[in-house]
This record gives sequence, structure tokens and C-alpha cells, in this order.
Amino acid sequence: MATAAARSVVVVGTAKNAGKTTVFNALRAVAARRGAVMAVTSIGRDGEPFDALDAEPKPRVRLAAGTLVALPAGLVPRSPALALLDRGEESALGTMMFARAMLATTCEIAGPPTARAMRATIDRLRALGEGPVLVDGAIDRIAPLAGGDDAIVVATGAASGATVERVAAVAAETVARLRIPGRDPACERARIVRVPGALDARDAEELLGDTGDVTVVIEDPTRVAVRGALFAKLQAFVDLRCERPLQVVACTTSPVGRDATLPARALVEAVARATGLPAFDVVADLTAVPDG
Amino acid sequence: MVDSTTAERIGLTWLRAELEPVGAFGRRHDETIAPYAPGDEAKALAEIADAVALARTLHFDGVARIRAALRAVPEPGPILARARAGDPLTDVDFYELGRFVDALAALARAWDAARGAAQRRPPTLDAMRAILAPARENGGFYLADAFGAGLPAARTALASAEAEVDARREAIAARVREVTGVDPIGDEFVVLRDVYTGPLPDGARVVRDAPAYRTVAIDVTSSARDAALARLTRAEEEARRALADRIAAEAGAGNDAVRALGALDRALARVAFAQRWGGCVPTLAPNGIAFDQAVFAPLAGALGERGRRYTPISLDLPGVAVLTGANMGGKSAALATAGFLCACVALGVPPPAREAALPLLDAIVWIGGEGPQDRARLLSSYAAEIVRAREALEHASSRTLMLIDEFARTTGPREGRALLIAFVEALRARGALALVSTHFDGIAEAAQVAHVRIAGLREGALGAVSPDDLDAALDAINLAMDYRVVDARDGAATSDALALARLLGFDATVVARARELYEG
Repeated sequence: MATAAARSVVVVGTAKNAGKTTVFNALRAVAARRGAVMAVTSIGRDGEPFDALDAEPKPRVRLAAGTLVALPAGLVPRSPALALLDRGEESALGTMMFARAMLATTCEIAGPPTARAMRATIDRLRALGEGPVLVDGAIDRIAPLAGGDDAIVVATGAASGATVERVAAVAAETVARLRIPGRDPACERARIVRVPGALDARDAEELLGDTGDVTVVIEDPTRVAVRGALFAKLQAFVDLRCERPLQVVACTTSPVGRDATLPARALVEAVARATGLPAFDVVADLTAVPDG
Repeated sequence: MVDSTTAERIGLTWLRAELEPVGAFGRRHDETIAPYAPGDEAKALAEIADAVALARTLHFDGVARIRAALRAVPEPGPILARARAGDPLTDVDFYELGRFVDALAALARAWDAARGAAQRRPPTLDAMRAILAPARENGGFYLADAFGAGLPAARTALASAEAEVDARREAIAARVREVTGVDPIGDEFVVLRDVYTGPLPDGARVVRDAPAYRTVAIDVTSSARDAALARLTRAEEEARRALADRIAAEAGAGNDAVRALGALDRALARVAFAQRWGGCVPTLAPNGIAFDQAVFAPLAGALGERGRRYTPISLDLPGVAVLTGANMGGKSAALATAGFLCACVALGVPPPAREAALPLLDAIVWIGGEGPQDRARLLSSYAAEIVRAREALEHASSRTLMLIDEFARTTGPREGRALLIAFVEALRARGALALVSTHFDGIAEAAQVAHVRIAGLREGALGAVSPDDLDAALDAINLAMDYRVVDARDGAATSDALALARLLGFDATVVARARELYEG
């Protein structure tokens, strides 16, 4: 397990139906096989019987006995009873509760609404438990990861592109954004430009009109609001750095799309090559490393 | 009791903020108690005396700690109400009740540490604490086996059934691995058609059949597990029901505790005020206002923050009195002090004075200058004063305190003086309670009312101060000014306007010329 050393692991997807929840459940299953007691929560709402957007059936979150979980009061199952340990921030579904499953149970989980509260929730789960914290994340809600030392797993798959090359390119861009390196005084260029808040398309165009001999410093990778070719161009032109880097440790691939299926081995290898990260297909049990 | 302009001028807005309860209990309690009015003297006096006694008893830092503990007490009201109504409670409800009794215990400890009297100790709801005790470990809540005779067996049965299901699931997973080559990790897994297209082993259910793949779940049906879960569900619901019934039996005590916390919150706000500003148990008498060494706390606090001294003042106001004296001598502050002390007793707060005889009033009205309401009505300063004076005169009585600050100063002095004399005469005729500050000469004598004055600048007390340094000038004035209110017969009233103008940096030749004109 590539993330074994991390105290918390966050799975984010490059697109809807990129296999994020499958990876989330697989990580839990692997941890369970190894005897590790995990703590779980979700940045979005998960474990509901049907997807809120497309009404497709969704896998429920089954908690093994001993699992720590953070969930809103409104989602605490009545039976089997959980041991309630602590309380956290308010959420739309009630106060966030920290609980332990005393017997195996199945439930929905959800996180608090703000990045600050989510960060506090992850940190509290870490403090309450001995095992790693696993977070079902969301690519468009990664602000809570800023400032943390979570290991991030990027789930990608056929849902984000019709070809292996396209899926790999999307994964590469996502990973590049999330892996903006921290500052290194030895490598900084002649001029340093700090961008407070979000780095948006207007900032990017201004920087591209500059000499290029510049180190651009942002707070953390979650502040990058530039996508696609513009981001690639910017990254090639300036030395883009951040004060608080994230730890992206691996990618996963799901070759199964709604209408088509991509070749599983070719996909996992292409994603590993494009991102420079180990890639895994947890369903087909495939692994690819960047130099392999 | 007062309008917003008056509330601002007499420090009532400030006072209400100072007295803000720390918790929701106190705020609710406060809402039920109207300001004391004439006829409420016994209740007001009892509350003030209680605050003074507690302020003397409780340790100063301890009061802050008790209030912090009060702030941390969670709201149990809705849960208790549902328990009393017979509604089912959830484990989160029980958890919150646990927090409530924990917070009460912490509050009681804070009370004891502050040397609070045993008979006034906040409630601890020991019976409710005892009910919840088996469920609570490290402040949490778990519907423990002790809450239902059927719980241990039901849980054991479910755990056994789950273990049996897991074993069967693992057996099916092993068969899936063997037949398809796919390792079914997790609750669901995918079988690609280019990997395997044949039939799946028994127990592997296709939940989605797409052209390129099948999503498969391992379904292990177990009537034994279902029955065990149903049995446990029933046992847990019965346990919750019984627990909720026991909580309902204590709900009355819980609600009493909530009310006690509200009253304590209100009382401690007054105690904290008295400990900071001092406070006496006044005589509550309807005729006139008298106080000795009183502190207008909002001003004293603001001066203190700037390192300047505040001079407590004394005043005896039998009915209507005119107050004259130096600019910057504190005439407006004297008016405000009278209003502030009356507001204090109306709110059950010890008035910050060595001693005081104060009335409970129907209203306090400030007349002078313009307030936000007047500006909103597009009234000039003069028009605003006249409108307020007209409305006040209609209700003038010994149950209304009128604080009149330099009335008619913005109109011609001859007409203004005449209008003020007539106004004061009308107030006297109505038996009003009023303090009237002015720079007009001879108002008290003409209207035949009492005359007091600010003592003013001490002779020769103003040293050499650079007129360019405003802060130093203000400090010098503060030190040189005698802010006491004295009988006007003891010495001549002065405005000290020329000396102050020079000290505040006004052009020296202009001030010298003004003195020539004044003395010539």
C-alpha cells in the first residue's frame, strides 16, 4: 500500500465516476486485511443508496467493528449503536460527531461544510485513533488539504476521457496542479512574485506577458484556478512554487466508462508515465510505476 | 424607558452591553424581566443587594471563571421537552445531555473555587448524571449493555451472525478469484468482459450489466444475520425508550436547573460590574436624586484606557437644578451620571457610587443637540431640541428625569436665554425632576430653582504646555480641572473659555484680543 506511512489519506477523483469510492473502499478493505483500524470521513456526502446527481446505485459505506468515523448527527445510525466519542463543527445535517463502530454497520457519511472544519475533523480523527484516517475527497473541494500532511491519491479513469491518452493527459494536468513544489531558495529566479488568494486566468495571462525570469509563489496548490493549456503554458514559462505543498502519492485508474471500456493495462501504464506517480487499478489488480 | 439618543448619552447602551449574559439561558431569563419602574422598589433593591453581597463574597477571578463555565453549558431544553412529551431520543440526544451534566459539574466546581456559598451552589443534577453514568466513558456516550437486559445477548448474536456472513462472503470471494481471476476487494467489484465473460459463482450478483463490464456485488443473504439485527434493533430501541423515560422523570429538575442558570447568569453580570466599578445598595426614594462619589463608568473606562484620571462626582438634585461652569468641566458628564445611576437601579445594578438615593423612573429623556433619530427626520439642532422638549414637557413629572444639555445654544442668545428660563419655570411648575446645564447667565435665579456649578480650573493650575501638542494640552486640562459639582453660591461661575482656547492652541493674538474685549 503506497500510502501506508501516511497518517491520513485523501482520495480525490478527476471526474465523477472515476472510481473514487471504489478506491476508498478498496483501501479500507486492504487495511482491514492487514488488521489496521481505520478512521473514515468524507468531504462530500457518501454512502447514500443512490447517487444524488444521476440516481445510479452507489455502494454504501460499511464500517467494520472498531472503525472510527466522523459523520453528522443526522446520519448516525440507530442500530447497531455507535459509541459517540466527541463532537465537532456544525453541518447542514447536524453537529459533526466522532464515533466508533462497536459492531459492523452500514451507513452514510458526510463531512462539515467548510475547509477549516474539514481540516479540524481530519485532525481530530487522527488524535482519536491509532490507525490512518481515510477521507473520501472531492477534486473541487480540496481546500481542506492545504496545510495538512495528508497523502493524496488521485482517482482517474475512463469517465474523464474517451481514450487512454486523454485520460492520462487529464490525470497529468491534475497531478501537476496538485504537485506544485514548495519554495527552494537555491532555485528561485531573479524576481519573486507573490500571488495572494487564487491564481486565476487573468493572473496567468499577466505573468505570461512578463519576461518569464520569475518565481511565482502561491499559498498552496488549492489556490490554482487555471486549467488546461493555460496552466501548462504558465508552468512551462515561470517557476511556479507554493508555500505549502501537497503530498500526491499515487494515482488509480478505472478503465470502465459509462459507454466504453479502455484497455486496463495500457491505461494504468499511461497514467503512471504521464503523472510520474505509481498507478494502480485496484479492480483489475494492476500496478505500474513511472520507470517501469 | 429611554429613546436611543438618550440611551447613548447616559451610557445605557454601554451598560446593557456590560450586562450581556454569557449564555443563552441568561439571555432568555433577561428577556422576562422588564426594567424596574416605580412600584418595583423592593424587587430592585433585593437584586441590587444580592449583587453587592455576592461581589463581596466571590473571588474576583473566580467570577470570570464561573461565567466561562456558564458559557460552556450546552442547551438541553429541546431534548428535555421531547423526553417529557414521550418522543424517542437518539444517542446524540443522550450524548448532549451527558455534556450538559458535565458542564453543570464544572460550573459547580468553579463556584466552589470562587468561595461561593453552599446554599447558592449551582445545580448539578446528580440524579440525571447517575442515570447516564453507565453510558459514559471519557465524556462520550454508548448505549451500554447495562441499559437493557436483552442487549448483551442480542449483540453477541449479531456479532456471531456477522462473523458467519463474513466467512461465507470470503468463501464466495475466493471462488470469484478462482473462476474470474479478479480479486474482489471492497463491497463491489468490476469484471471486465475482456477478462471474463462466463457465469459468475453463486453469491456474486450483477448490479450493473454494461457492454464492456459487469459490476458485481457479493450478496450473502443470511436470515440469521437479519434476525439478529432485527432483534438488536428492538433491544436497542427498548433500551433507549426506557432511558428516555428515566430522563423524562428528571426533566423537571433539568428545566429548574436551566432557570437557575439563567438567574445566575444575570446575577453574575451584575456582580462582575460591581466588582469592577464598585457599587452601593442605594436608597430607592421617589423624591429627587442624590449621590456621593459616583462614577460614570463608560467615561471612566474610556479615560482609563488613555491613562487619564476620572474624578467621581457628587450631586443633590431635589427637583429642578441648573448646572453651570467651565467648558470641558464635565457638565454633560454630570448630567449623564445622573441618568446612568438611575438606569443602573432600573436594571437592578448596584450604582457605582459611595452612596446614593435614587428613584425608579418611568422615563429618562436627554434634550440637547441632535441624535441619529433627529438627523433621520432632517431636523436641525435647534428644531430637534424644540421637538424633544415639546414632547418631554407633555410628560414632565417627578417620575421622569430630564437631562437638558445647553438648550437653545444654537439660536440667538437673548431669545435662547428667555426660552430656557421659561422652559425651566414650566418644568418646576410641573414638579419635574430635571438637571439643566447652560452657559446662559442667571437662569436659576430667574426661574427660581437650585443652582450648582462645576468647580472649574484650579487657580494657576495650568502650567506651560505647548499649544501644538493637543494630547499634552488635554492631559494638562484634565489635571488642572476640578470636576466637582459645588453649590453655585460658593464662588463665581466661570467658563474658562479663553484660557482653554489658548491651551488648545488657538491663535495667541486672537485670544489676547478676545481677553481685551471681554475685560474692557
